Amino acid sequence: MTYLKSRRFIGAAFTAITMLSITRTITGNGDLTSTVTIAQALVFASPIALAGLAGIWAERAGVINIGLEGMMILGTFGAGWAGWQWGAWAGVLAGVVFGAIGGLLLAVAAVTFGVDQIIAGTAINLLALGLTKFLAILLFTDAPGGGQAQSPPIKGDIPTYTIDAIVTPLTALHDKAIFFISDLAGLVAGLFYHLSLLTIIAAILFVMTSYLLWKTAFGLRLRSAGENPWAADSLGVKVVQYKYTAVVFSGMLAGLGGAYLSIASTIYRNGNTAGRGFIGLATMIFGDWRPGGTAAGALMFGYIDTLRLIDTGNQNVKGLILLGAIILFAIGGVMLRKAKRNSAIGFLVLGSVMVGAYFSASSFPPEVAQVAPYITTLLVLATASQNLRPPAADGVPYRKGDHH
Amino acid sequence: MDQNALAVELAGIWKRFPGVIANSDINLKVTAGTVHAIVGENGAGKSTLMKILYGMQKADEGTISINGNELVFSSPADAIEAGIGMVHQHFMLADNFTVLENIVLGSEPKSGVKLDFAKARKQISDIAAENGLAVNPDILVSELGVGDRQRIEILKVLYRGARILILDEPTAVLVPHEVDELFNTLRDLKKEGLTVIFISHKLDEVLSIADEITVIRQGTTVGSVNPHTQQVSARDLAEMMVGNELPTPQSVGDTIREEVVLKVDNLSVFAKGGKAIVDDISFEIRAGEILGIAGVEGNGQAEILDALMGIEVSTGTVHFKAEDISNQSTRHRRELGIGFIPEDRQRQALLMEAPLWENRMLGHQTREPNSKGFLLNPRGAKADTKRIVAEYDVRTPSIDVLASALSGGNQQKLIVGREMSGDPKLLIAAHPTRGVDVGAQAAIWDHIRNARQAGLAVLLVSADLDELIGLSDTIKVLLRGKFVADADPATVTPQELGTAMTGAGKAA
Repeated sequence: MTYLKSRRFIGAAFTAITMLSITRTITGNGDLTSTVTIAQALVFASPIALAGLAGIWAERAGVINIGLEGMMILGTFGAGWAGWQWGAWAGVLAGVVFGAIGGLLLAVAAVTFGVDQIIAGTAINLLALGLTKFLAILLFTDAPGGGQAQSPPIKGDIPTYTIDAIVTPLTALHDKAIFFISDLAGLVAGLFYHLSLLTIIAAILFVMTSYLLWKTAFGLRLRSAGENPWAADSLGVKVVQYKYTAVVFSGMLAGLGGAYLSIASTIYRNGNTAGRGFIGLATMIFGDWRPGGTAAGALMFGYIDTLRLIDTGNQNVKGLILLGAIILFAIGGVMLRKAKRNSAIGFLVLGSVMVGAYFSASSFPPEVAQVAPYITTLLVLATASQNLRPPAADGVPYRKGDHH
Repeated sequence: MDQNALAVELAGIWKRFPGVIANSDINLKVTAGTVHAIVGENGAGKSTLMKILYGMQKADEGTISINGNELVFSSPADAIEAGIGMVHQHFMLADNFTVLENIVLGSEPKSGVKLDFAKARKQISDIAAENGLAVNPDILVSELGVGDRQRIEILKVLYRGARILILDEPTAVLVPHEVDELFNTLRDLKKEGLTVIFISHKLDEVLSIADEITVIRQGTTVGSVNPHTQQVSARDLAEMMVGNELPTPQSVGDTIREEVVLKVDNLSVFAKGGKAIVDDISFEIRAGEILGIAGVEGNGQAEILDALMGIEVSTGTVHFKAEDISNQSTRHRRELGIGFIPEDRQRQALLMEAPLWENRMLGHQTREPNSKGFLLNPRGAKADTKRIVAEYDVRTPSIDVLASALSGGNQQKLIVGREMSGDPKLLIAAHPTRGVDVGAQAAIWDHIRNARQAGLAVLLVSADLDELIGLSDTIKVLLRGKFVADADPATVTPQELGTAMTGAGKAA
C-alpha cells in the first residue's frame, strides 16, 4: 500500500468513526458502537463481501455475474447438505464446489457460447432457486430435524475466537462513553469477539485478491480480458482460459459466501440468501470494482443489518436515521466545496428532512431500516457513479478475432 | 552489416478466398535496415499480404524468408518469434491500463509471482530512450492522444524484440505534425538497424519516408521504385496503383448562390461537466457552397454535426432556409432534405447485421421510394439500392448481404449513395471518402460536385486536407470548439492548414 493510499484509508476510517461517535453521543445509544454490534456486523457483512469479491473476479475478466445470487444459493444448499452429514468443514467445501459448478455453467454459456451475460446469469439464478427447492424436498423431508424447506442441523462448528485480553478492557472503555475513544474501543473489541475462522478466511481472500489481480502478471492478464480482450489476444494472452478461471473462481467465492450463511444459521433454509448476491453485486459497484471499496460497502450493509436485528425499543433505527442525516450533510458539504451547488442543496435538504424526522418521532418501525441499505446504495451510486470506472469490456461477449 | 541483406523475401505468394483472389503471385524483397513502403488501392491485397507475413493467415502458395531463412508461420506467435512486429491500424490498447501495463502484457518481467514493475519500467525507458520515443510509463492510456498511443504500439512491438516492423496505414489517424514525429521515429529505428514495412495510400508521405516503394494492384506486385535514385512523383505512383489517369478533388467554378440554406447562430454544445465542446459558433452556408471545417479530431466537429442533425443537445439557433429547426426532431430535419454522412459509419450510419437494402431505408424510412404512406416499401427500397450499388460502384455480391460483409470503403460508398439520394438540399458530411480507394474517391467527389452545381449546400469535415482544400469554397479552422481562423482554399497549403489546426499559427 502506498503512502497516499494508506493516508486516504486512515482518513476515511477516521471520518467514519467520528460520524458514528457524533451519532452515538447525540442519541446516547451505546449499542451503535458496542463490541457485540461490531462482531455481529462482521458476521452479516462477510457473505455480502464474499459475493462482492466474487463479482470483482468475474467482472474484472469481463463477464458480468448477475448469477451471484444463484451461486450463493447453491453454496447454502451444498453447505447444508454436506454439513448435515459430514460436518461443518465438509459443508464449506461442498458450498465452494457447488458455487464453482454454478460458475462453470455461466462460463460455458457466456464465454464459450457468447450468450447474453445478463440472461445467462438470470437463468442461473432461477435454476439454482428451483433446483435447491426441489432437492430440499427430496433430501431433507424425511431426515430427522429436516423439513421440506430446510436441512437438518449442520454437525459441528467452525471455530470462533475471542481474545479476552483485548475485549474485556476495551469493552469496559466503551461503556465509559467518551467521545471517539469509547467508540474506537468498541470497534476494535468487536474485531476480536467471537471472530469466526471463516471471517478470517474471507479477509485473507480480500488481501489475496488485491495482490493477485493488481500485482502479478496473472492478474494483469486476467484484467486485460476485461479491458480489451482483443488486444490481449494479439499479445498471446489466452483470453478464454483466463475468463474461465475468473468466472469459476467467482462461483467458488459466491459459494463460500452461501456456505457462510448456512454455517452461521446452522442449517440450510430456502431463501436464506435473501438477495445477498445482488447486494454483493451492488457493493462491488459501490467499491468501483476493487476489493477495498467492496469490503467497505459490505461492512456498511452488515452494520445496518445488525442494528436492525438487535434493535431494542426501536432506538437503533432512530440512530441510523441520524447517522444517515450526518452522512448526507457531510456529502453536501463536500459538494459545496466542489462548487456543485445543485447536488449540495439536494443533500442538505434531504439531510434536514431526516433530522426533522429524527426529532419528531419517538421511534421508527424496523421496516424503515430494512429499506435503508437500499436507499443508501441508490444515493451513493447516484453521486459516485460518475467517478466509477468499470472494466471497459465488461459484459461484452468475446469471440477470437471478432474485433474491428 | 551487409548492405544488401534481405530482411524479408516473399516469393510467389498466392491467397484465394471463396470467389476472390486476394493475392496472386506476389514477389517482395525488403532490404534490411530500410523503410519499405507498400502502396495500393483499397482491396488491392496489401492487408492480406501483411496478415500472411504476420502469421494471421496462411498463404496458399509461395514462400516467406526472413533474414535468408525460409520459414512457415502458423500464428502471430511464430512471426513474433522470428522478430516481426505489427502495429495495427486500429490500436490494440486497454484504455484503463497504464502505458507500462499495456506494453508488458503477455510478456511480463517477474520476480517470483509478482510482476516486477521496477524492472519493466527500466526496460521500457531504456527502449524508449534508444529509439527516441518519450513516454511516461505510469500514465493511463485513456489520457493519451492518438500520436502517443501509436508510440506505445511501436514500443510494444520493440519490447518484444522485433527487428522487422509492419505499420499498417500508420498515418491515417495522425495530423501533419504527428506524421512528422512518426517519420523521425522511423528514421531513428532505421539507424538502429531495424527494418520497417510501411503500408499506406498517402503517396506524398510514402515518397518522403520510403527507401523503396512496391506498388500492388489487383492483388499482384506491379513494380518497385527507389525514390532516391529514380525520379518519381506521387502522380506517377498513383497511376501505377490505379492503372490509368488520375482524378483530383478540384472544385471548378463558382456555384455559390444567394440563398442561405443553413444559418447557425451561437451554437454551443456542453460536456457533462459543463465544459463547452462547441463554443458559441455561428456560420452560414449558401446554396451551391461547400463549407469545409478543418481541425484535429476531437475539437468539436462531431458535436457540431450531431447538433445540426438534432442528435446532440445544444444551445443556439439553427435555421434551414427560413425555418427555425433548432427544436425539430432529427427525422423532421432529414425530411426537409438534410443528408448526413457521420464520422463513425459503423456506429451511426449502418446496421451492421442488416442487409444493404434495409440500410438503404435507414433515415429515409418515411420517404419515397422506401415507403408508401404508412407502410414500408421493400420492393422500392431494393430497386433503389440496386441503383446506388451501380452508380456508386459498391462492390457486393448482392443487395441482400449484411452490411458487415462489405469492406469499409464499400460501406462508405453505400452511405454516400444513400445520403445523396432523394435530392438533398444540404449535405452534412464527415470524411465522405474515408477508407475509400482512389477510383471510388473520385466518383464520390464527382457526385458531390455535380450536386453542388445543382445548388446543394455542403458542410464538410475531413481529415484529408487535400480533399478539404480541393472541394471547399470556404474553410474554417476549428480548435477547441471555436473557429480560430479562416482559410482560402485557393491559396492555402495542407501544411499551413495543419499548423493552424494545432493552434500554432494562422492560416492564410
